[in-house]
Amino acid sequence: MERVEFQKLEFISEVFTSGFICLWHAVASWTWDAHDETCGICRMAFDGCCPDCKLPGDDCPLIWGACNHAFHLHCILKWVNSQTPQAHCPMCRREWQFKE
Amino acid sequence: MTADALSSVCNLGVLDSLSEASVSEILESWNSFCLITEAIVKGDDSGLSSSYSKFQSYVSSLCKYGLRSLVEEHFLISLQDMLEKHVAPKFWKNFDAYSNVTDLEENDKDMQEDEVELLLCKALEEISLEKQYQEKYLLMLVKSLQLCKDSTSMEGHPSDVEKFFFSKYQLIVSSVLMTTLPRQFPEVLHRYFKGRLEELSTIMAGNYEDNELQDGNDMELYGKGKHATRFGNMDIDGSYDQKKILENKLVRNIGMVVHNLRSLGFTSMTEDAYASAIFLLLKAKVYDLAGDDYRSSVLESIKEWIQAVPLQFLHALLDYLGDSISYLSPSSMKSPLASSPSSCYPGASKPSEGIIRWQLRLEYFAYETLQDLRIAKLFEIIVDYPDSAPAIEDLKQCLEYTGQHSKLVDSFISALQYRLLTAGASTNDILHQYVSTIKALRTIDPAGVFLEAVGEPIREYLRGRKDTIKCIVTMLTDGSGGNNNGPGNSGDSLLEELNRDEENQENAGLDDDINTDDKQAWIDVQRWEPDPVEADPLKGSRYRRKVDVLGMIVGIIGSKDQLVNEYRVMLAEKLLNKTDYDIDTEIRTLELLKIHFGENSMQKCEIMLNDLIDSKRTNTNVKATINQLSQTGSESREREVSFDIIDTTIISSNFWPPIQDEVVNIPEPVDQLLSDYAKRYHEIKTPRKLLWKKNLGTVKLELEFEDRTLQFTVTPVHASIIMQFQDQTSWTSKNLAAAIGMPEDTLQRRISFWISKGIIAESSGEDSNDHLYKLVDSMADGGKTGINNEELVADDDAERSVASVEDQLRKEMTVYEKFIVGMLKNFGSMALDRIHNTLKMFCVSDPTYDKSLQQLQFFLSGLVAEEKLELRDNMYFLKK
Ligand SMILES: [Zn+2]
Ligand SMILES: [Zn+2]
Ligand SMILES: [Zn+2]
Repeated sequence: MERVEFQKLEFISEVFTSGFICLWHAVASWTWDAHDETCGICRMAFDGCCPDCKLPGDDCPLIWGACNHAFHLHCILKWVNSQTPQAHCPMCRREWQFKE
Repeated sequence: MTADALSSVCNLGVLDSLSEASVSEILESWNSFCLITEAIVKGDDSGLSSSYSKFQSYVSSLCKYGLRSLVEEHFLISLQDMLEKHVAPKFWKNFDAYSNVTDLEENDKDMQEDEVELLLCKALEEISLEKQYQEKYLLMLVKSLQLCKDSTSMEGHPSDVEKFFFSKYQLIVSSVLMTTLPRQFPEVLHRYFKGRLEELSTIMAGNYEDNELQDGNDMELYGKGKHATRFGNMDIDGSYDQKKILENKLVRNIGMVVHNLRSLGFTSMTEDAYASAIFLLLKAKVYDLAGDDYRSSVLESIKEWIQAVPLQFLHALLDYLGDSISYLSPSSMKSPLASSPSSCYPGASKPSEGIIRWQLRLEYFAYETLQDLRIAKLFEIIVDYPDSAPAIEDLKQCLEYTGQHSKLVDSFISALQYRLLTAGASTNDILHQYVSTIKALRTIDPAGVFLEAVGEPIREYLRGRKDTIKCIVTMLTDGSGGNNNGPGNSGDSLLEELNRDEENQENAGLDDDINTDDKQAWIDVQRWEPDPVEADPLKGSRYRRKVDVLGMIVGIIGSKDQLVNEYRVMLAEKLLNKTDYDIDTEIRTLELLKIHFGENSMQKCEIMLNDLIDSKRTNTNVKATINQLSQTGSESREREVSFDIIDTTIISSNFWPPIQDEVVNIPEPVDQLLSDYAKRYHEIKTPRKLLWKKNLGTVKLELEFEDRTLQFTVTPVHASIIMQFQDQTSWTSKNLAAAIGMPEDTLQRRISFWISKGIIAESSGEDSNDHLYKLVDSMADGGKTGINNEELVADDDAERSVASVEDQLRKEMTVYEKFIVGMLKNFGSMALDRIHNTLKMFCVSDPTYDKSLQQLQFFLSGLVAEEKLELRDNMYFLKK
C-alpha cells in the first residue's frame, strides 16, 4: 500500500501543506561528568571500564573522593583495600575519603 | 618354393628309372588332374561328381610316383590364383562406392548405414559361398590323398591331415584378402556395427519403456535394474517375448556377419570395428543421459545401460559364435573374446572372463567420459550448487575410479580465470562461487588438497579488490532476506548455515543443551587458527568441518581481526539507523560470531548491542518520568510536539567505531525536547550525562498534501531541511545552509533527496552561485519534478526511504527484462532461482547482474503485475 503511494510521488504536483514528525529517533553518547579523561589508577578511559569489567557505565561506575579526584569504583576499592590502615588518594596523596 | 619342395620330396634319380609307360601315365594323369582342377577352380563343376573317381585315380597315380606334393601345391596355387584374380576383386568391388568416405557425411548417414548393412551381408554371403565351394573340393582332394597308400610323407591321423590343409587354405584366403584390402573396409565395418548397435539399443529402449509401464511409475531406477537382470531369464510375457525375438534375430544376423568375417580372417579387424562402434555408442549414451542436467545422478543409469545393451550384445554374440568358433577358426587367431565358448544357453552361464574384461573396459570408458563432461561444466555445476549435488557425487565416483583429479584442477582453474576472475564479475558473485566451490569440492576431495590448488587463484584475485572484506562480512552475517523463518531458509546468513549444518550432523546426539554446546565451541575456538594446515585429524569431524569453510574464507584476508572490525563498522551503521530497539537478529549473529571468532574478539560488538538494550530501558524510564513532570509542571510553554515522538539510542562511544560528527540545526521544538531529555537523563544517571549526535538517527515524517499524506523515513538532516519549508516555502541555498548550520555544498548534496522526490524544486537564483529552492507548486513547477537519480546515488546515505530503494531497483533491473523474456521464450517456464542463476551466468558484464534473489523476485512480481509475466506453481511464464 505504501509502495503504491510512493511510486506516484513522481507525479506529485500539489503543494504540501504541513509536515509532522511521527518519530525522532535520536542518538547520543553518554559520558561521566568528570574533569579528567582517564582513571589515574588503571590509566583506562573513564568512559571505558576498569580492567576487571566487561561492560562500561552502570556496571563500572566512577567514584569521587573528598579531594574531588575521580576513579573507577573498582580501581579505588582495590587500592584502598591494599593500603592499610589508611589509604591516600593516588593523585594528590591526601587522605582518601569518599565524597558525600 | 616349388623347386625346393620338389627337391626335398622327390629324388630326381628316380626319373631315370622310369619306363616309357610310366612317363606317359604320369603325363596323362597330370594333364587330366590339371584340367579337372582348372574346371573346379573356374566353377565349372557340372558333371564333376561323376568324374570324382577319375580325379581320385589321377591323384593316386601321381602319388604313386611320388608327386604328391606337386599335386597339393598345384591345387592350392590354383585356388589361390582364383581367389586373387576373381573372388577377392569381386568381393572388394562391392565396396567401391565407399572408396572416398573417410569422413562421415552427417546428412545421409542413416541411409548409408542401411545400404552398408545390405551390401556387407550380401558380399559376405557371396564370398562365403565361394569359399565353401572351394572348401568342398579341397575336402575332395584331401579325401583322395588319404586314399593313397603312399601317405608316408604325411604321417599322423587323417583328421590332422585335414586340419593341416584347411589351415593352409585359411591362411591363403586371409592373406589374399589382406593384401588386397581396400582402405575403406574398416570404416565400412565400423558403420555396419554402429548401425546394428543403435538398432539394438532402440529395441532395448523399447524394453525399458515397456518395463516401466509394467512396474507402474514407482522407482524407475529399480525397475531398470530389475529389468537388466531379468533380461537373461527369458521371462514369459507377450510383448517382452516379442522384443526378445526381435533382439535375437538381430543378434543372429550380426553373429552371422561376424562369423563370416572371422572365417575370412578378419577376426581382429572385426573386433576393432564393433569395439569402436560400442564405445562410440556408449559415448553418445553418456552424453545423452548426462546432458546439462546436474540435479540428478546418471551414473547408475549409465551402468545399467552398459549391462542392458553392449554387454547383452556381446554376451549374445559370444554365445552365438561360441560353438562354431572352436574348430572353424584356428586357435592362433583366437581373440580374447573367442575364449568363451561357455554354454549356448544365454544367461544360464556365469559371465565369462571376456565379458568381465569388457565390462571393466566399458565402465572405465563411461566413467572417464562422464568425468570429462562434468569437469568441462564444473563451473556451471558449482554455480548451481547445492542443487547440483548429484552431479558432484557422480563426478566424485568417476574420479575415484579414474584418479584423474589433476584434470579437474587444471580445467577448473582455467574456467575460473576465464569466467569468474574478471572485472565484470561482482565481488559478491566471486565470493559465493568460492564458497560453493569449497562446499562442492569438499565432497570430492575431503582432504582439501585439490581445493587448495583451486582456491588459491580466487583468493589471490579477491585480495586485489577493495570491497572484499565488506562482502565477506555481509555474506557471513547478513541473510539478505533478513528473516529467520526457521531452518532451511535461503535467507540465512552463511554463519547460520554453517552452524545449522553442524547441528544437523550431530543431530543423532542427545537433546543438546545450548550452553554446553557453546562452551565446547568456545573451547574449540581457543585452538582455532585461520590457516589450519594439518591440524590433527583426530580432533573429530565437528571441529574440522567448521574450520574448513570458515577458515578458507578468513584465509582470503589472512586475519580474523580485519573481519571483526569490518563487522563492527557495519553493525554500528545498522544499529544507528534503527527506528526501534529490535536487535534479535544482531544478537543471534553475534552469538554465532562469538562461537567462531572467540568472545574476546567480539567484546566491543557485545557492548554495542548492550547499549541498545540499555538505551531501551533508559529511554522508557526518562520518558515516563519527564511526562509526569510536564503534566504537573507549567503549561505555559505551548508544546507542538510531545516526548512521545522522541526515542534515543545512547552509545558508549569508546567502544563504537569513530562516528562522523556533523553539525546540524534540527527543528527548534525537537531541539528543546532533546535538551529536556538530556537534563532528565542527567538527573537519573548522575554523574553521567548525554552528548547529542544530532546528525545521527532516523526520523519518520508525514508530509501532508492537499489530498494525501505521505510518509518518509529519513535522516535528521533531511528532516531538518524539509521542516524549514513549513514556514517559508522558498529559500536560497546560502540562507538555507545557514539556517541548517551546514556548509552549502553539503546542503546541496542532501537536498537532492527532496528534489528527487519532486517535493522541492531547484532553480538558479539571481546570484549564479546561489541556488533557489522552492516547494513544488502545482501550477508553476509541475514540469520540473523529474527524478534526479544520479545525485541521489552520489549522496551515499541519503536514500533510506523505502520508496527510493525500490524505485532504484526497478530502474536498475529494467535492463534485464529483455534477457528474462528471451529466456522464458526459450525455456517456456522457469523457477525463480533458475532465472537468477541464469542471469548470473550470462550477465557477467555489460550489464553485470548483481542482484539478490529477493530483488529479482521483487522485480518479477512487478512484471507479473504489469501482466507481462504469469506466475503459476512457482514457475514464471510469458503472458500470452
Ligand atoms: Zn580505573
Ligand atoms: Zn570495573
Ligand atoms: Zn585526590
